[in-house]
Amino acid sequence: MTKKTTIHITVISFIIGFMLAVQYNTVQSPKKVETTDIWEIRQDLSDEKIRHSELLTQIRQAQETIRQYEDEELDNPEAILARTVDQLQASAGIKEISGPGLVMNIAPSQELMEFGYQVEEISPQLLIRLVNEIYRYKGHYLEIGGQRLVHSSAIRDINGKTTVNGTPIGKVDVEIKVVTDTEEEASKLYNYLLASSFMDEFFIDNMLLTVEAPQPSITVDATDLEIRSTYLTEYKGD
Amino acid sequence: MWLPLLGLILGIALGVLTDIEIPSVYENYLSIAVLAALDTMFGGIRAQLQQVYDDKVFITGFFFNIALAAGLAFLGVHIGVDLYLAAIFAFGVRLFQNIAVIRRILITRWEEYRIKKRKNSSESR
Repeated sequence: MTKKTTIHITVISFIIGFMLAVQYNTVQSPKKVETTDIWEIRQDLSDEKIRHSELLTQIRQAQETIRQYEDEELDNPEAILARTVDQLQASAGIKEISGPGLVMNIAPSQELMEFGYQVEEISPQLLIRLVNEIYRYKGHYLEIGGQRLVHSSAIRDINGKTTVNGTPIGKVDVEIKVVTDTEEEASKLYNYLLASSFMDEFFIDNMLLTVEAPQPSITVDATDLEIRSTYLTEYKGD
Repeated sequence: MWLPLLGLILGIALGVLTDIEIPSVYENYLSIAVLAALDTMFGGIRAQLQQVYDDKVFITGFFFNIALAAGLAFLGVHIGVDLYLAAIFAFGVRLFQNIAVIRRILITRWEEYRIKKRKNSSESR
């Protein structure tokens, strides 16, 4: 091997070594850098706290029911069972519900109509987002255009028409009724809706969303949807 | 023989110590280039052992193989076919073949050396 050859080979092995090391560095370095700051962590923590307190409330309610069962077991078991059935029916949506709440209205924007804009269907996506936000603010009982929302309700576009529970809700003057558990929750929801961007977003679709002030008593109809249960069967007692 | 090894170690040390990283987009290209480089290196060693080593072939092979492999990978990305797999396959197979040939040559040499040594010791007795 001449001296020149040795130098060539050395230079090339140097390059190979360097390339190997760079490749090693690149593969070893973590792909994602942790960038959450303390504020985001606090935000997450507060979300979890809220969830925690909700769960505690649920546990307390369940314990209350158990206590009532135990207390009234001897005196009047039917009454307490009937009450539980009532509660279940209310949350499943097969029973009419009255309580504090508020009414919203979606209508085409008059001034845009005068300029010759078309009245379009209410976008299902926007409606779904609105419903999710209302649920988040504890508006548990909802009715859109006369259709009660239950756990199996679908808001979707069928042949160009926006439907709730498979029934078209129409383009103009759609009324949304929300019933909450307490008046405080109703006014919280009202304030949130006023401050939210939903009005602007409906206005993009040439719609006007009006939120009326909370009322002490609003009635939401029962659903006329047949609730099918695939997995639960009736228990035939002994 | 120790000089190329020193070069390799120096290169690795420089790369590790400087902490250079390339964007992950180009990771594929570099890995293929490393493979091509290793292939050329083992090819060179084999040629040296078989006494057919040529400086020009070695150096042009090194740069040409790297460029070709990276070029294939680049083309593959742009026409949506994983062409770098072809390069990996070709270089991988050649790498194994070269290493096998080197091993055989070394084994043969070692055996020759042993026979010679035995002969020498029997002659000296």
